Amino acid sequence: MASRDRKPGTLPRIAAFFAVLALAAGAATPAETPVSVELGVAVASNDGSRIDPQLANIRAKLKAMFDYTSYRMLDRRKRTLAVGETGEFGLPGGRSMRVTPVPSAANKVRLAVQIREGQRNLLTTTLGLSRGGMVLVGGPSYQNGVLILIISAD
Amino acid sequence: MDCAKAVKLIEALIDGRLPPREAAEVREHVDGCPSCGAEEESLRRVGALLRLWTSARAAEGAGLDAMWTRVAAGIEERRGERRLAAIARKWLWIPAAAALAVFTLLFYSPDGARAPFRPKSFDVSVESLESDTATLALVDKGEDLPRVIWIIEDGKS
Repeated sequence: MASRDRKPGTLPRIAAFFAVLALAAGAATPAETPVSVELGVAVASNDGSRIDPQLANIRAKLKAMFDYTSYRMLDRRKRTLAVGETGEFGLPGGRSMRVTPVPSAANKVRLAVQIREGQRNLLTTTLGLSRGGMVLVGGPSYQNGVLILIISAD
Repeated sequence: MDCAKAVKLIEALIDGRLPPREAAEVREHVDGCPSCGAEEESLRRVGALLRLWTSARAAEGAGLDAMWTRVAAGIEERRGERRLAAIARKWLWIPAAAALAVFTLLFYSPDGARAPFRPKSFDVSVESLESDTATLALVDKGEDLPRVIWIIEDGKS
């Protein structure tokens, strides 16, 4: 019979092959999941003491991180991007931010981020976030304060 | 005056229909005659009973009138309610739709722009940081606080 001609260990090898294939497929799936990128643009200053209600949940965090008394939301946008797709967000002061999701492990999001001011490259970075995670980018001056970019991904 | 004539005139006396002179004569006889006095007393009682009965019927009639007024008012009220219900059924969708529209405009936003930020995590890894024209600082004050990339523009801040 044919089974008698099969070399010893063939079946375990085939099983292992399919197991590796399944694992690879499982690992590849999250990387293909579109990423919802949300950008909040706030201006932080010492003019007054008003904190935008949209920042109510992170008010204490902002106060712990920065030395500003007022936080005002200027803009807030959300885009869903496929891995490898670049989304561009306009920023105040002639600046712009480009975000590209790059392949990542399960339950993680990796974003390639570039912030430009005209032709000048202000920042190029790659961030790894948990889904639903948040990171802040700040510093560029605007009006009487500085811009704070609130980047989150899900 | 004898009893036969007096008895015929007692009722007229009670009703005040006799001329004063005749009334005085009948009164004089009745006051002096126990039989005619008893007849007068009897007629007066019957008269009182008749007046009571008449007034009771009159009160009953007033009660019926009042009851009918209430019934009529109730019927009219029910008619009014039915009219209002019909109008409400016909036009209620307008304020309901307006309220829904206002609610939607106030609370719905396609990108959740009005809802407060609700970060699930501040766990961020920064794989690379580059800038052509600025100095960059990575601020990390612990897991409970967000990571911050601070851009210090040369010559500005």
